[in-house]
Amino acid sequence: MNLTRNPALIEQLAASYALGTLRGGARRRFEGVARGNAAVRAAALIWQGRLASVAELQPEAAPSAAVWKRIENLVAADKQVKAMQAARASRTADMPVKPGWLASLNVWRGMAGAGAMAAVLMGVVGLTVNNSLNERGNAISASLNAANMQALKLDSEVQLLTAKLQATPEIQYVAVLSDDKAAASMLVTFDPKSKKLTLKRVGGYQEQADKSMQLWALPQTGGPRSLGVLGRDAIIKLTAVDNDVKAVPTLAISLEPKGGVPSSGGPTGPVLFKGALIETTL
Amino acid sequence: MTTERLPTPDSPLIALLERVALADESALRELYDLTSSKLYGVAVRVVTNREWAEDVLQEAFLNIWRIAGDYKASLSPPMAWMALVVRSRGLDFLRRRTADKMGQMQTLDDVIADTVAGDSPNPMDTAQASEQAQALHRCMSQLDNKQREVVSLAYMRDMSHGELAEQLKLPLGTVKTWIRRGLEQLRGCMAKLA
Repeated sequence: MNLTRNPALIEQLAASYALGTLRGGARRRFEGVARGNAAVRAAALIWQGRLASVAELQPEAAPSAAVWKRIENLVAADKQVKAMQAARASRTADMPVKPGWLASLNVWRGMAGAGAMAAVLMGVVGLTVNNSLNERGNAISASLNAANMQALKLDSEVQLLTAKLQATPEIQYVAVLSDDKAAASMLVTFDPKSKKLTLKRVGGYQEQADKSMQLWALPQTGGPRSLGVLGRDAIIKLTAVDNDVKAVPTLAISLEPKGGVPSSGGPTGPVLFKGALIETTL
Repeated sequence: MTTERLPTPDSPLIALLERVALADESALRELYDLTSSKLYGVAVRVVTNREWAEDVLQEAFLNIWRIAGDYKASLSPPMAWMALVVRSRGLDFLRRRTADKMGQMQTLDDVIADTVAGDSPNPMDTAQASEQAQALHRCMSQLDNKQREVVSLAYMRDMSHGELAEQLKLPLGTVKTWIRRGLEQLRGCMAKLA
């Protein structure tokens, strides 16, 4: 059968290809023909374009307000991480280093550097554009009340911390736990290498002397699993295995009687803070 | 679902994407305000769970923030491009879940199964859709509810005939026929419009 002489068949295959229902060997054969034949390739591209609009026709739904807050934090962190990586790259580039070490370092730097440099260039352009916006932003900030100012300060602190922690390459999971007003209160990072969960208090919250905060993983299936009881320090470290943390979309902190409660029964006190666990791509 | 709302012109969205490509956060905010309901709808459709969909939307916007510079090369309407970013983040999300044996589709899929089984009204929504999508919508509207739903689901979830049959509890042959006929009708209709 000669595909290229059968326009109806080309259309049919191109449509199933774009839809995704053409699979396996049939898909590979079609791709092979498309690479060698412009008409077939065009049919596939036309169908891809048509069907892409299926996504646009889905009914609207309103996400909760917290989503933007999370995006805003991540974007700010993203900018800072890139700026820091670039700063670090240029700093180390100036330093005389032992050759053996340098060689292995350069391999890494070469891979990370291209992206980082592009980001810095982008950042510089963005900065100039942002100057006037910042001025406007400052004027608005000045008129905000004291409580809002506090929230803003907290936000930037979280962003900075998130950025700092994300800049450390071993860290693969980050969560910003917030209260029900989306004010950040606890920054959680998980480093699968050392199997350490690190929690940093960023809000002003302090539990009463007869209470303990307890960290929970909220997996998609099954009930909450305790990841540990938090000490009273500003920075708390807990040990966890990969599987405790991986594939867990959400972490939460509940207020429990001093010393915490057994994992099997789940939290007994109110949930203070909650947030999505994000796998960082850095 | 005909509303009086005019189709959103593409140009404001394109201008915003250009500013986002220059790392302008305020442009990202404006883009979010204009498109988040539509894109959240896409995410809900792909992952079927509202909380997961919020995670997907969040990842997608971070992604858009990072790759907005690629938009121009795509030659697509901006909403289609962003909807595809959301779709692929959603599919990634489902793959991660499935890899962890947690890929259970729930509740919303019952709704979808009902749509396919019965004859409920057209669930498509042209609010904010590009002109290209309006054309597709006119053609999709001519399909049976069942055909339209199966085609739409196959695309949004990147599902095979077999997976669709399983998910919708339909015979494999039925799914294949509906999709084949659906695509054939679309072809005839789209050829006339294009």
